[in-house]
Amino acid sequence: MRPVKGRGHLAAFVAAPVAVVLALLILVLATRSPASDRVTQSPIVGQATPAVELRTLDGKPFSLDRYEGRWVLVNFFATWCTPCRQEHPELRRFAADHERTGDAAVVSVVFEDDPATVRRFFAENGGSWPVLDDADGKAVLAFGVVKVPESYLIDPDGVVQAKITGGVTAAGVESVMAELGAGGTRRGGG
Amino acid sequence: MASPPVAARRAPGKGPRLGPWMSSWLVMAVVLVVALALGSRTVGGGSDQDRVRAVASTIKCPQCAGQSAASSDAPTAEAIRRDIADRLAKGQSPDRIRDFYASRYGEGILLNPARSGPAGLVWVLPVVAAVLAFAGLGFAFRRWQQAAPAELSAEDRRLVAAARRARLSVGEPDGEPVDPHGEGDGR
Repeated sequence: MRPVKGRGHLAAFVAAPVAVVLALLILVLATRSPASDRVTQSPIVGQATPAVELRTLDGKPFSLDRYEGRWVLVNFFATWCTPCRQEHPELRRFAADHERTGDAAVVSVVFEDDPATVRRFFAENGGSWPVLDDADGKAVLAFGVVKVPESYLIDPDGVVQAKITGGVTAAGVESVMAELGAGGTRRGGG
Repeated sequence: MASPPVAARRAPGKGPRLGPWMSSWLVMAVVLVVALALGSRTVGGGSDQDRVRAVASTIKCPQCAGQSAASSDAPTAEAIRRDIADRLAKGQSPDRIRDFYASRYGEGILLNPARSGPAGLVWVLPVVAAVLAFAGLGFAFRRWQQAAPAELSAEDRRLVAAARRARLSVGEPDGEPVDPHGEGDGR
């Protein structure tokens, strides 16, 4: 059977735009900012830390006021959330680095998860910072959490300075703190 | 002879009368205003559950696509409904509750745009547009009503007469009678 004349040209005409689109897609994906350490906009940034009644997994009352004079990273997480599990070693690193200097701390707030599962997760993966229960979702609403992982960086004066989505790295949080230390509130780029 | 002005032809001592055309417009306007007033009533009566649902239906579920906190089964939507119930029980108004959620999630969390600020234009502009449209229509109808009837000039009459003569000389198609009344150009 003789090849149909012009079919090769047609294939080239179809393949060329597809190749261009694929190349652009790869370019966009390769050059966009990483999913973690994304400082995003939030109306709560620049406001005082929400006054919300929190409790530890053991049921003891807990207030964020105890961190006055220190930076605190309030991390909303769930064990069923893969990026939350991935950021856990980074949170451990950040907490360990600042445990020595005492200038910053980490607090985790459980998001739609079972306290027993969370306890087991911390027993297996380490992490000695306070883990708070939010069974009624008050803290989630007070901070304006949409989906985990989300972290809120609170300055020594108790003002929310940044909202970080998609997970954190120790270096990323240090970078945000350094930028904020230079003055001003980091409102993020969306 | 020029006809007297409309005001001069009215019976003395009597106010302006509304014609049937104007009355129907008036009735329609009243119905519209009543419907809008009923439709825009703020959350008020009803059971506590109804009030919670009414407020929740104006707030988006943050985790869901296109669902209100009233209709979603997501845990956060349930938390919002509980929080709304608590706040209503404490005496907070629906607007204050909505303001709280806007202060945490941004104005985008509200399914109804705010009634003040730039977002308030969403409420005002359609009303202004409707008022302008109705005013424009009224103005146009009035002009058309008041327009003087077309006067035939001598030239117009001459042209019509010539056309009729030409038509009579050719005859009507399909065997229809030509000038059945025998009036010719005299009519």
